[in-house]
Amino acid sequence: MTVVPAQQAGGGGSGSLYDVLELVLDRGLVIDAFVRVSLVGIEILKIDVRVVVASVDTYLRFAEACNRMDLEAGPRKPPGLADIVGEVTESGARGKSKGALSGAAQTVSDAFRQAREEGEAEPRPRSRKTNARRKEEQE
Amino acid sequence: MSTYVYGITAHEHPALPKGMDGVGDPPRPVRVLEEADLAALVSDAPEDLRAKRRELLAHQNVIAEAGAAGCVLPMRFGSVAPDDATVADVLAERADHYRERLQALENKVEYNVKASHIEEAVLHRVMADNPEIRALTEANRQADGGTYEQRLQLGEMVVAAVQAKEAEDAIAVERALEPVASAVSVGPGSTGWLANVSFLVDRGSAEDFVAAVQRAREDLAHLELQVNGPLPPYSFVEPGPAEPAGTTAGGGLEHEEK
Repeated sequence: MTVVPAQQAGGGGSGSLYDVLELVLDRGLVIDAFVRVSLVGIEILKIDVRVVVASVDTYLRFAEACNRMDLEAGPRKPPGLADIVGEVTESGARGKSKGALSGAAQTVSDAFRQAREEGEAEPRPRSRKTNARRKEEQE
Repeated sequence: MSTYVYGITAHEHPALPKGMDGVGDPPRPVRVLEEADLAALVSDAPEDLRAKRRELLAHQNVIAEAGAAGCVLPMRFGSVAPDDATVADVLAERADHYRERLQALENKVEYNVKASHIEEAVLHRVMADNPEIRALTEANRQADGGTYEQRLQLGEMVVAAVQAKEAEDAIAVERALEPVASAVSVGPGSTGWLANVSFLVDRGSAEDFVAAVQRAREDLAHLELQVNGPLPPYSFVEPGPAEPAGTTAGGGLEHEEK
């Protein structure tokens, strides 16, 4: 079962700031007699695109994902040989298309990965690799 | 000297964070301006205030601190009045409205829920629901992955199916949690989650809400639900008196339609 913390402190940590950023910036009381400081440089709001965006990159990536999916297995089943082979091809492809990979695709797999890390993560080679990459991204 | 405004609360609020660090470097201390039985949490506004991390945190911390002890109407980040007198004027002019909001939001907190798909799980669903995608996948597999066009075609179909599922699941999330909230505010879709919804929850029933989230996680196992709360009611400060915040707020059956 996937366990994500259901409750976090109302203020405090920077982690929770990021999660509530759009509330602080986009909601809350606005009074027309006051001015608002410029929000130039707040592209961060748009970075976290986790919906699937239609693009050639995404099409190819999803086709690939379907190809290596074991149709008989449930989503939680440990990987069979087919999956492992899939991993290898995928990481090869990823190396080549680095940078071209859309942000959307990236974050979708982030969510996927995150869920896996938080839940019943199988110790797959991919987890280790992506963990390292994830740290990189955060810095 | 212009005045930065954090939030508005009732003057009888038991623990206003006077002197707490506010925005700016060095941090400007938080002051309290009272007018018309209301209190505004303010500080001097730094000249060069920008939406930087530490300023956002300072804003959020002041509101969270005050919100822990009583109801606060949080201002959107970056609200600056020309001076203290303007803030007092605004409180006096709109006192009824703010008092109504404070009453409606008393003992209420916001939980923000963001949902996204767990990719592998949603792909399984899409395949299970869609024979055409299954057939095309199988054909591509037989053909060693398929040609570029074939892969594009499959991918396009899968993406369309996943997008349809996103819309469907956004509604499912809202439906699952709505019954345990006294009001719902759907956030802007532009931030990109398949669902970004805030729920106004009575402090006393926070546990019920969390339990409902847990049930939703089990029922919608292909979704990742990220929950943030309890938070100050950022998403519920705006509706005017004509729009009751929720069914449990007033306990009455007033309907004002305009």
